[in-house]
Amino acid sequence: MNKDVIVQLKNIVKIYGGHAVLKRVSFDLRAGEVHCVVGENGAGKSTLIKILSGAVVPEEGEIYVLGKRLRALTPRLAINLGISTVYQDAELVDSLTVAENIFLGSEKLSSFPIVIDKKKQNQEARYILQKLGVDLDPDLVVEDLSAAQRQIVQIAKALFRKAKVIIFDEPTSSLGMEETKALMKIIQNLKMQGIGIIYISHYLREIFEIGDRVTILKDGENMGTYDINEIDIETVVKKMVGRDVALFFQRKPIKLGEVQVQIRNLSKDNIVKNVSFDVKSGEIFGIGGLVGSGRTELVSLIFGIKKPDSGEIIIRGKKVRIRSPMDAIRNGICFVPEDRKKYAMFLGRNVVENAVVVINELLKQYLLRLRQEIKLTADLIKKLSIVVSSKDQLIEELSGGNQQKVIAGRWLLNSEAVLYIFDEPTKGVDIGAREQIYELMLELAERGKSIIMVSSDMPELLSMSDRIGIMRKGEMVEILENKGLKEEELLKYFIGV
Amino acid sequence: MMEKASNEVLPRVRRTFFKSQWFFLLIAEVVLAIITGTINPRFFTLSNITNIIEQIAVLGILASGMTVLIISGEIDISVGANVGLVSCVIAMMIKNDVNYLWVVITAVTLAVFNSFLVGASSLAFKAPSFIVSLGFLSVFRGTAYAITKGVFQTIYGKFEALGLTRIGKVIPLSFLIGIIIYFFIYFILKYTKFGRHIYSVGSNPMAAFLSGISVSRTKLMAFLLNGVLIGIAAMILLSRIGAAQPTTGSGMELKAIGAVVIGGTPLSGGKGNILGTFLGVLLMGIISNSLNMLRVNPYFQEVVFGIFIVASLAVSAFGTYFRKSE
Repeated sequence: MNKDVIVQLKNIVKIYGGHAVLKRVSFDLRAGEVHCVVGENGAGKSTLIKILSGAVVPEEGEIYVLGKRLRALTPRLAINLGISTVYQDAELVDSLTVAENIFLGSEKLSSFPIVIDKKKQNQEARYILQKLGVDLDPDLVVEDLSAAQRQIVQIAKALFRKAKVIIFDEPTSSLGMEETKALMKIIQNLKMQGIGIIYISHYLREIFEIGDRVTILKDGENMGTYDINEIDIETVVKKMVGRDVALFFQRKPIKLGEVQVQIRNLSKDNIVKNVSFDVKSGEIFGIGGLVGSGRTELVSLIFGIKKPDSGEIIIRGKKVRIRSPMDAIRNGICFVPEDRKKYAMFLGRNVVENAVVVINELLKQYLLRLRQEIKLTADLIKKLSIVVSSKDQLIEELSGGNQQKVIAGRWLLNSEAVLYIFDEPTKGVDIGAREQIYELMLELAERGKSIIMVSSDMPELLSMSDRIGIMRKGEMVEILENKGLKEEELLKYFIGV
Repeated sequence: MMEKASNEVLPRVRRTFFKSQWFFLLIAEVVLAIITGTINPRFFTLSNITNIIEQIAVLGILASGMTVLIISGEIDISVGANVGLVSCVIAMMIKNDVNYLWVVITAVTLAVFNSFLVGASSLAFKAPSFIVSLGFLSVFRGTAYAITKGVFQTIYGKFEALGLTRIGKVIPLSFLIGIIIYFFIYFILKYTKFGRHIYSVGSNPMAAFLSGISVSRTKLMAFLLNGVLIGIAAMILLSRIGAAQPTTGSGMELKAIGAVVIGGTPLSGGKGNILGTFLGVLLMGIISNSLNMLRVNPYFQEVVFGIFIVASLAVSAFGTYFRKSE
């Protein structure tokens, strides 16, 4: 075995609920190298990290740390062996100072027991930070720090624990350009000190900037480990997505009508910047982009969840004022949110109440029409083939796919609707129900509705959309006709290469 | 035809009868009545039963309002202090021979205003209503002390009709008002859009907002409705007792909350019904009366009340536990 290798994984298998998320993956890390791991969402990157940080125990495979074979890691053992992870949302105690966070769990005590020697801690923290080449006051409260500074605190903490391996999980996703540059410098610095670095990022450019080797994961399999100078971005992207075409949903074409919805110069803070686009009747307009690119924020402006700083929404040629979801609903906008449990389901209430909630809001009268409600729900159940046992069945007693159908169905009852917004329509939905949701979207399009679909799932975007708007750092940088578009090209637009 | 079709798709299956909390409540009430009745046969006399239903009228009205509030995901523990303040103010008005019409208007307006303060501050400051109402409890009670200077306000022989009238010499008017209010709340919760909103904002405020429901308006309305009922309860209470002091009504909010919880409405909101609350209030009335009938030390009665609330929570907790393990 190579003497430099500090961590080695051999033939790791991890199974979640009958589904293998890592299939015989091998991986090794040498001292003083930056080893990047890339792959799409769900490729198994986070599971790999979790195994290394001891949060998850693999079903099969061997783990070697510093040449010693281990059955499994625990979080404590991982830290003791010198493996630290820097998460994107820093795991720090907000109300404590930088130094206190660095020494958390192993405080420096003064000669009088139980009392922390603050001065000594600050001194040592300052020394560690200096070695990192950053200027940060150890007496600052973490709450007041920027995202980049928080990461530095985490790195300092890892160094204090004599880390030999530092794992970076999407470290730059919340950083600006300058901060990213600064972080790259720090990573170079760590590398010089002989620390092994595992670097996970969506931004392939960074990987080619600082990486020594890259491992590509796809659907839980290792597609190969390469020296960074023997591979190029094109090949990496191809290996990341190279997917079976059969998984694509084959949709039927629908004739497009007039422009029905116009979004003009929509802006909010620095999250959504000057976004404009049109959607025709019968059109499915996909919105793609990386996590944090402002997709969800954009649709929340259209639906009135947040108020835009500027911009207009024009529906059927008429400028509409949308200041709340109620305004949006009255103007024929529907929104099927991403996390149905959090944003859509009324737990403890029955299927009928969950189905008719929106249509009831459009009624002018004060009294409910209980008979009508049951009839509407029954029609919906038949139409979407929802499996429900009785009128009084609670929403949480249905399966995930059926829940999603009831939630989507809630908006179908409004026949006056013009625009449907689907945010991640099939996230957490099994394959059977997924197709039914696609059919439903197509039926809406056929009836002349406009559809905006936000999705992280690239096959979904490519198989369903007529056009795809690409969001990057809050801007809609490109609107592509979905004709012969490939996943690789799409991903390149997302990343901006 | 259509009607029939929808019945086929959505059959109406009643939740198993004895799985619901109100069934346990009914059993507990019958058992308690039989035990007390056997030891002290006076329990089953008409005058005693009239006595029980008269005693629970005020609590029932307060518990009805509290049910709506708790289902909406809020709570108000200043209810007792609100009752105290309102009774003191109207007692002073009655003493000074103000027209009863003005008395009634003042009672309801003041109670609604107080509830508005609690609800509006809680919603505006995005603070839990438990804490906000704890603050206002002090404000209301303090105001009552200030305006009465701590003096007992008695209204000899005035304003008696509301609390002491018995229809056909048997049924107390106050009980009848209580029953009308139960039906009124039942109607609101089951048949009105507002009632559906109450359940929605209690179950999932974010989902309610995204469905076009105004969450704060709904919650504020629940507070105001509670205020109206507090005003009515304060008048009945004053009329029955014939006197008011700043501590009047203190502790009533806890009994009301207890009755609601015993009736199967969880404090987390989004669930519950008024039938449960009615039975919860009735249980409280029977317990209180039984303890008197059995000559239990009055100090000890408080202890028994507390134990009953905890026990009922345990029963409902076990209920959910067993349903999950199935």
